[in-house]
Amino acid sequence: MTLNSKSLAVILFVVLFGGIALSAALGWWQTESSKVAATYTEGEFAGQANPADIRGSYTFGDVEKNFGIPAALLAQAFNIQTDDPDAFATKELETIYAESTLEVGTASVRLFVAFYNGLPFDLSTEIYLPQSAADILHTRTLTPEQLAYLDAHIVPDPAAPAVDSAPITESTPEAEATERLVKGKTTFQEVLDWGVPQSVIEQILGAPMPNPLTTVKDFCTAQGLSFETVKAQLQAEVDKVK
Amino acid sequence: MKFFGKRLFRPHSIWIRKLVQWFFFLLIAFIAVNHTLVESGAGIPFLSSASLHALCPFGGVVTIYQFATVGTFVQKIHESSFVLMIIGFALAFLFGPVFCGWVCPLGTVQEWMAKLGKKLFKRRYNHFVPARLDQVLRYARYLVLAWVVYVTATSGTLIFADYDPYYALFNFWTSEVAVGGLIILGATLVLSLFVERPWCKYACPYGAVLGLTNLFRIFKIKRAASTCKADGACSILCPMNIPVDTQNAVRDHQCISCLECTSEAVCPVAKTVIFTAGAVK
Ligand code: SF4
Ligand code: SF4
Repeated sequence: MTLNSKSLAVILFVVLFGGIALSAALGWWQTESSKVAATYTEGEFAGQANPADIRGSYTFGDVEKNFGIPAALLAQAFNIQTDDPDAFATKELETIYAESTLEVGTASVRLFVAFYNGLPFDLSTEIYLPQSAADILHTRTLTPEQLAYLDAHIVPDPAAPAVDSAPITESTPEAEATERLVKGKTTFQEVLDWGVPQSVIEQILGAPMPNPLTTVKDFCTAQGLSFETVKAQLQAEVDKVK
Repeated sequence: MKFFGKRLFRPHSIWIRKLVQWFFFLLIAFIAVNHTLVESGAGIPFLSSASLHALCPFGGVVTIYQFATVGTFVQKIHESSFVLMIIGFALAFLFGPVFCGWVCPLGTVQEWMAKLGKKLFKRRYNHFVPARLDQVLRYARYLVLAWVVYVTATSGTLIFADYDPYYALFNFWTSEVAVGGLIILGATLVLSLFVERPWCKYACPYGAVLGLTNLFRIFKIKRAASTCKADGACSILCPMNIPVDTQNAVRDHQCISCLECTSEAVCPVAKTVIFTAGAVK
């Protein structure tokens, strides 16, 4: 078969735009990160949105859309004083709670949503909630197991941090110092970037370091190591470099 | 002009290709402008305002490693890049790097500069670099490719965006553009006055990936030795300086499927250089 330039041009358009149309029809054509949480794939809740898929880029409004929990209630649970709770991105929690010794962040929102809606959630990791969130959850029906977990993971309310709708405007020197904190989301790459050599990390892990983009926590969970212990040791190393 | 079934020697060009190139150049330019407008709250409705990263098939390539190992995309790369990458590969598997010859706006602007260069230097244009040196330099784009894949895999961010002349071309009005990208873009445009498609030949990592399909693509540029007049027109005018007149089928890793060497354009003999999946005599 021989093609001339015109047929090639036509084929090019058909394949390119046809391919895009096809992928759009299949739901693959996404030019932005989707704000639709993945669903449970098995069990009683199959097909329902899974709180474990809430990402830092989700706003309280996105959470509301996915899980039906009003954004205003979420703001109340996490002590966020804002006029526009819909627009509050969950990743900002970390900044707001930066001074807290126990991490409150996107994972906390996941946990809150799961408990609030009575959805199954993996409780093998340590996730903390502010007192205000726990107060709201106490009004919901929780299993004894969930209740016990909840009561063991409460962060005392900070003197209600006053936040306007643009919370990350000022960065005090303190806030910068706390940025070098080993947290659930911290990747090995970040630890390396903070100046801890790979050999030291491997010594702490007692194992070769995985792909640096893996989070420390995921690695610990996968290897059956205690994240708390590893975290503390890594933090000590990070502080040494400072 | 036909003369006893043969065209007189007169360089034609594939006009429809120029049209397609214009189309994609304008499309991408509009989308890029719209992206900026939307961010400042005044977008043109009904036109995609996607970020250019989301519309780059090469983004799909650089994210493969991270996708396979950690299951996530490199920052700023989205599913759409993956889709475009697959479409790009499918096309290249059939027709070679048609993306380069017909779609890529960076290739297009280099060709526009080439027009100027041809006016200035006539037939000497695109024949300045000594052949030996040129041959070696043409492998440099694989080094660029290896480097890009490596730094993206280890850092998880789109470091190449800071050097990408394509990104600079469509973002020079925003603050997002990196100086490195602008410098490389400027250098590419200036060099284009002497050499056709210098970025494509010596540096483009995506061209390097697509170029590999030249070794096995289904539709190839083939030359019928029985009717070839051996005037060398195809080789002289091939933008990628491929010696079409010495080969029966072009397998050069740099061919961009522009069809300029075919009997539809510069080859003066009908049905002698053709774009085919079949055999020629
Ligand atoms: S080689 Fe690169 S710059 Fe040149 S046309 Fe192909 S993709 Fe575009
Ligand atoms: S060999 Fe022909 S199709 Fe390939 S780049 Fe050269 S002129 Fe274009």
